[in-house]
Amino acid sequence: MSPRDSAAPAAPRTPRAEAWRRFRQDRLAVFFVGLLGVYVAVALGAQVAELWQGRPFLYDRTLAELGLGFPENAQPPSPDHWMAWLGTTSAGKSVLLRVVHGTRVALLVGTCGAALSVIVGTTLGLAAGFFGRWVDNAVQYLYQVVASIPYLLLMLALAFLVRQGPLAAWYRSLPLSDHISLGLFNIVLVIGLTSWVTLCRLVRAEVKKVRELEYVQAARALGLSRTRIAWRHVLPNVFHLVIINFSLRFVTAIKSEVILTFLGVGVDKEPSWGQMIADAKSELMRGIWWPLLAAGLALFGLTLAVNYAGDALRDALDPRLKR
Amino acid sequence: MGPGRATWHPMLGFIIRRLLAAVPVLLGVALITLLLFDVAGGDPAAIKLGKNPDPAEVEQLRTELGLDLPFYARYLRFVGQAATLDFGISWTDDTPVREIFWRGIGPTLSLSVPAFLIGTVLAVLMALVVAAARGSLLDRVVTAAAIAGISISSLVYILVGQWLLADRWKLFPVWGYEYGPRAITFLALPILIWIALSVGTDVRYFRTVALEEIGRDYVRTARSKGLDERTVLLRHVLRNCAIPIITRMTIIVPFLITGSFLLEIFFGIPGLGSTLYAAITSSDLPVVKAFTMLGATLYVLFNIVADVLYAAVDPRIRLS
Repeated sequence: MSPRDSAAPAAPRTPRAEAWRRFRQDRLAVFFVGLLGVYVAVALGAQVAELWQGRPFLYDRTLAELGLGFPENAQPPSPDHWMAWLGTTSAGKSVLLRVVHGTRVALLVGTCGAALSVIVGTTLGLAAGFFGRWVDNAVQYLYQVVASIPYLLLMLALAFLVRQGPLAAWYRSLPLSDHISLGLFNIVLVIGLTSWVTLCRLVRAEVKKVRELEYVQAARALGLSRTRIAWRHVLPNVFHLVIINFSLRFVTAIKSEVILTFLGVGVDKEPSWGQMIADAKSELMRGIWWPLLAAGLALFGLTLAVNYAGDALRDALDPRLKR
Repeated sequence: MGPGRATWHPMLGFIIRRLLAAVPVLLGVALITLLLFDVAGGDPAAIKLGKNPDPAEVEQLRTELGLDLPFYARYLRFVGQAATLDFGISWTDDTPVREIFWRGIGPTLSLSVPAFLIGTVLAVLMALVVAAARGSLLDRVVTAAAIAGISISSLVYILVGQWLLADRWKLFPVWGYEYGPRAITFLALPILIWIALSVGTDVRYFRTVALEEIGRDYVRTARSKGLDERTVLLRHVLRNCAIPIITRMTIIVPFLITGSFLLEIFFGIPGLGSTLYAAITSSDLPVVKAFTMLGATLYVLFNIVADVLYAAVDPRIRLS
């Protein structure tokens, strides 16, 4: 293991460039990164369209209301108008627009949920591994307790509580809540607070090893402050764990959105993939399959892209797998 | 170990130490449970009485439930409840929580145990075959299918399975449960879906485990002795993979007992998962708190069991 930031400029390739070279060799991984870019573009587009339109948003209006000559019930995909390309929901709204808007929700939930979870996990893991003693004991105790509570139960219970509690009232008073619904905020919070344990463990164990390396001792001998050593010199050496875990948590987050929304404690007041999949329970029995197909495929594509790219990233960043 | 305690089996000391270490963790779980449900969620008495309760009634119930006591007293009482496994009476159907547990455990286990056993055997066998043929077309197809499979939302599996196999093709009943041997007709489809849901993750995990073993010297020795591939895999590799497999299986046991929320709700199986879900949505706090403590206790216990098995199976591991 070599300290990344202090690598001599004469070295032929930095570890980062080496990892990137290995990642590029996997064509499929590069393709999936491109697909991720498409998702991000769609989500940004949906966000811009929303800011530009104002309420009521296009996705919330029926095609009949817009004078497009469609009845106010579920219609299968039709080429007649672009808004009906993926059919309409049982209320007569455009499935295409709702899937597009769901992309924005999914990326927000995935990114913010994973970011919160990774920040909590890394900070606690770094503190425990680096400072040791009572900090280590406290963090270990905390993650043992959190890990012992059944995950889905903790998530559900938190989701129910956050909805009724004072936190929800505070959030509703923020201007941000006009753009990001309370349900979405809930999910991010719940995922962030429940799924940091794995990363915390990994970072703690790795930091304990890195802490003993010569360059850290050198930094200490130079009289750098301990916090500075931890953040600037130890953290970069465990950062590959953080990146890989981010992709895992991203997938957990968007999958959890679907489940929580289905169970009635997730995203409400705006269309999400979870909501479309939840609606499909009654729609399927009436032969209306296209909203499920659209939302399911959109979710599948995003999850697959992140899963595959994450796997490739892990292989590329693992120094033991030199090819 | 000092010489004075030499008569003790080292394993026994290890188990006792681990059990003792579990106590503060469970005390922490009890604290979080109580804070979550009795404090953060609002006044339990008001929750129990429903919408627009009479303030006098709330006051009376608060005294009855002991909510007017200071927090530490309530905490001690809850710990006492957990230690004696007596969580009182459910708020929604006035039966003891213990009875609710015993009612739900049967259906839950009859779904989770067969699904888990079949799924694990299937995944281990697939992983062995695929790992032995590393880099081949079969390996790439199975690995790709596994990653695609785990990328599909579990709700999609359940919805499509229920709609296609039960509603459309009438191969299974759509919903319901019956006690006794006829349960199997209702359980077959959820078991099938459970296996479909878990097999992707399991194959990926066991493949990594098997690959690590297959790269070792003893496998090359076995092969060069002229043993056929089947013997090498089943007699040599599988045995050495036993440790991670057993550990993983042990850690999953608590989840088999608490059951699958989604499958039980969708297929109307009256197990612990659907009971717990109903309890959460109707704010049946005694049931929710009891199940939280139960889940956590099982998790902690089976982690200890996994460590003990780990040491028992592998003589290289020393207990410390």
